[in-house]
Amino acid sequence: MTKKNNEAKAILRITDVTHSFDGKIALDNVSFEVYEGEFLAILGPSGCGKTTILRNLIGLLFPDEGKIYLDDKDITCAAPSERDMGIVFQNYALFENMTVLQNVQYAMKFRKDMKADSKKLALDMLERMGLSEHANKKPNMLSGGQQQRVAIARTLVLHPRVILFDEPMSALDVETRLSLRKEIKQIQAEFGTTMIYITHDQEEAFAMADRIMVMDNSKIVQLDTPINIIKNPADAYVQRFVLDNLQTKIDSLAKYIDV
Amino acid sequence: MKKKSFFKQGNPTKILLCAVFVAFVFYPFIRMVMNIESDDITRVFQSASFMPSLVMSLKAAITTTLISVSLGLTLAFFLQRSRIKCKGLFTVLLILPMLIPSISHGMGLIVLFGANGILTKFLGLSGTIYGFTGMVVGSVLYSYPVSFLMFNDVLKYEDSSPYEAAQVLGIPKFNRLTAITLPYLARPLIYAVFTVFTLVITDYGIPLMIGGKNTTLAVMMYQEVLGQLDFGKGGVIGLLLLIPAVITFVFNTFFKNNAKMGYVSKPFDIKKNFLRDAIAYIFCIAVVLCILLMLVSFGLVAFTEKYPTDMSFTLDNMTKMFDRASDYLVNSVIIAVCVSAIGVVVAFITAYMTTRMKSAMSSVLHLFSITSLAIPGLVLGLSYSMTFSGSFIYGTMAVLILANLMHFFASPYQMMYNSLSKMNENLENVGQTLGISRFRIVLDVIVPQSKSTIIEMISYFFVNSMMTISAVSFLANTSTKPISLMIGQYEAQNNYEYAAVISLIILVSNILVKSIVYVVNRISAKRNAYVNPVK
Repeated sequence: MTKKNNEAKAILRITDVTHSFDGKIALDNVSFEVYEGEFLAILGPSGCGKTTILRNLIGLLFPDEGKIYLDDKDITCAAPSERDMGIVFQNYALFENMTVLQNVQYAMKFRKDMKADSKKLALDMLERMGLSEHANKKPNMLSGGQQQRVAIARTLVLHPRVILFDEPMSALDVETRLSLRKEIKQIQAEFGTTMIYITHDQEEAFAMADRIMVMDNSKIVQLDTPINIIKNPADAYVQRFVLDNLQTKIDSLAKYIDV
Repeated sequence: MKKKSFFKQGNPTKILLCAVFVAFVFYPFIRMVMNIESDDITRVFQSASFMPSLVMSLKAAITTTLISVSLGLTLAFFLQRSRIKCKGLFTVLLILPMLIPSISHGMGLIVLFGANGILTKFLGLSGTIYGFTGMVVGSVLYSYPVSFLMFNDVLKYEDSSPYEAAQVLGIPKFNRLTAITLPYLARPLIYAVFTVFTLVITDYGIPLMIGGKNTTLAVMMYQEVLGQLDFGKGGVIGLLLLIPAVITFVFNTFFKNNAKMGYVSKPFDIKKNFLRDAIAYIFCIAVVLCILLMLVSFGLVAFTEKYPTDMSFTLDNMTKMFDRASDYLVNSVIIAVCVSAIGVVVAFITAYMTTRMKSAMSSVLHLFSITSLAIPGLVLGLSYSMTFSGSFIYGTMAVLILANLMHFFASPYQMMYNSLSKMNENLENVGQTLGISRFRIVLDVIVPQSKSTIIEMISYFFVNSMMTISAVSFLANTSTKPISLMIGQYEAQNNYEYAAVISLIILVSNILVKSIVYVVNRISAKRNAYVNPVK
C-alpha cells in the first residue's frame, strides 16, 4: 500500500521540530509527513538524529520547538501511551520474567476495553504471528527472530496506528536479518499498519521501504522513494553515503557473476 | 515545550534519600569530629600506650595483609586454574570464617592453642598463642576469605584469549606472567591489600581476645570509650582508623577500571597436570582442615561440661544458654530481620534512582550511598553514640538497626546498582508506550528480574547484622544487646562453653540463611534455564 503522491493521506505530520541536548542540536528544524500504510525508512549514520526523531514521535522525548500531529490532532505533548503508536526497540526489551503469552497480554490488563478478553486476544495475536507453540516459553528460550516477533506482537495487539522500529536488526546475523525483513513486510501487508523504520544500513532501507528519509547532521537531506533517490540524489552526501556505498556492495559481488 | 520535570526524574525521592545519608552518616560523623578538642589530640598522642598501639596495629595489619592476600590469591588460583574436583564445596568451606564474628576466631585459637588448649595439651606444645602471633593468625582466618572471594571472581572471568595469542606468538611463560597476568591482577591486588588492611586494623575483636598485653588502636579506642567513657580520645583514634578506610574508598571509587567488556570472555582450557592438581588438593584441603578444626573446637567446647578441666559431653550449655541468652538471640534476630527488610527496600529504591532515573542528583546520591564504606563500624558506632545520646532513639533497638543499616548499606546497594545497570534500559520506555505505569513495570518486571540479587542483599544484611561487634558495641545496653556481643563477655568470665555456643548459633543461623539463598537461586536458575534457540 505504497503512497507515493501528494494526494495520499498523511497520518503523521511533523512540523519544524527542533531538539537539543544540553545546548547541542540533535534535530534542526525538521519537517516531514508520513502517509497512512506506508513503510518509511529513516536512514543515516550514527549521531545524525534519527533516534531522536523516533523518541520525539513516540513521546519519550519532547521537542524544544515544533509540532507533531497524528491525524491532524496535536500530540506534541501527549504521553507515549496516548499517541496510538507502538515501538520495537533495538534489543526488544521483552519482559524476561514473563512467558511469551504474558508479554503480549500484559499491557491489555491495564486497558478497560481489552482487560476481559486479554488472554484470547493475546492468543489470537500469537497465532497470527506464528508464535502459538511458544506461548508458554520465556523469551530467553526463543531465537532472535522469534523474540522480535514477540516484541511486534506485544505492540500490534493494542492496534497502534503507527509502529516505530529502532534499528531492530542491528544485533542479528545476516540470515536472520534477511528472513525478518520479509516477515516485517508480511506483517505490514497483513495488518496494514504504518511503519517507521530506523536503520543505518542502506541495503535494508532500499529493500524494505516505500520511501526513504536520508538524514545527516540533524537535518533531513532527502525524502523520496528509493527509485527517485537513485535517479536524483539530492546532494553529494546522498551520492556518497547511500549510492556509492550500495554500488561498492554491488561491485564486490559483480565480479563473481558471469554476465 | 520540553518536559524535563523535576518530579519525573524522581528528584524529591533522591533529595529525601540524600537527606537520610546526611542525617545518619555525615551529621553524626561531623558531630563526632566537632566534639574533639585539641586537648583530646594531645592526650592521645602523649599517652604511654599510643605509640606501642600504633606500632602494633601497623605491624599486625601489614603482616596479616601480606599473608591473607597471598593465601587468598593462591587458593583462588588453585580453584580457578587447576582441574581439582568439588570446587563448589571447597569455595563454601573456605568462606565459612566469614560467617562468624572476628571475636570468635580469637576464642577458637585460645581453645585450641591457649595455655590449656586442646592442641597445646594433645601435641605438648610450648610457647604462647597470646600476643602478636595469635593476633596475626586470628586476623588471617578472619580476613583471608575476603581476598579469596575477590581473586576467585577476578580469575573466574579472566579472558584466556590473550594467553592463547601469546602462545601462538611464541612468548615465553614468564613473559606471559609479567605482560598479561600481573597487569590484569594489579588493580584487584591493590584493592585487596587496602580492603584487608582496613578490615584488620579496624577490628578490635581478635586483638582484644588474644592480643595478650599488646594493644592495638582499635582496642584502645574500644577501651577508652567503653572503659573510660572518654569519647574525645575515642574520637581521635577513630579519625586515625578512618585514614586507611578513606584511602580504600577513594581508590575504589575514583580509580575504577573503566574498560567495559564488550565481549564474552573465553574460559580457560585447563590442561591435565598431575603435580599441579596434587599440590592444589593438598593446599586447599590443608586450609579447609584448619578452618574445620577451628569450627570443631567450638563444637567440642560447646558440648563440654567445663573447659578445660572437665571435658565430658553435656547438652547443658546449650539449654542453659537458651535460658540465659535467649533474649540476646531474639535481639539479634530482630535487628537482623529489620535491617534486612528495611535495607533491601531502601537499597533497591536508591539503586533504582541512581541507575534508571538518571539526573544530576543521581551521581550525588550514588556517592552518598557508598560513603559508608569509608567509615569503619567502630567509628560509626562512636559517632552515633555521641550524636543520639539523650535522644528518644538512644538505648532502643532502633538505633542499633539504624547503625547496622548505614554500616552495611553500601555493598548490597552496589549489588543492586550493578544488577539494575545491566538490565535492559528500555523496559520502562516500553511500559510508557504501552500505557503501563513505571510503578507497575518495577513491580511486575524489574523486581522479579532482580529476585536473585534481592535475596543476596537480604542475606548480606542478615549475616552481617548477626555477627557484627563493631558499630553496635557502643550503642547496645543490657536490654538491646545482640548476642554477638556476649561472646567477649562470656570469655572474659572464663565461660568458654557459652561463648562457643553463641559462636555456633551465629554460624548455624548464617549457614541456614546462606543455604536458603543457594536453594532459592538454584530453583530460579533452573526455571530460567536457557534452552538452545529454536529457529
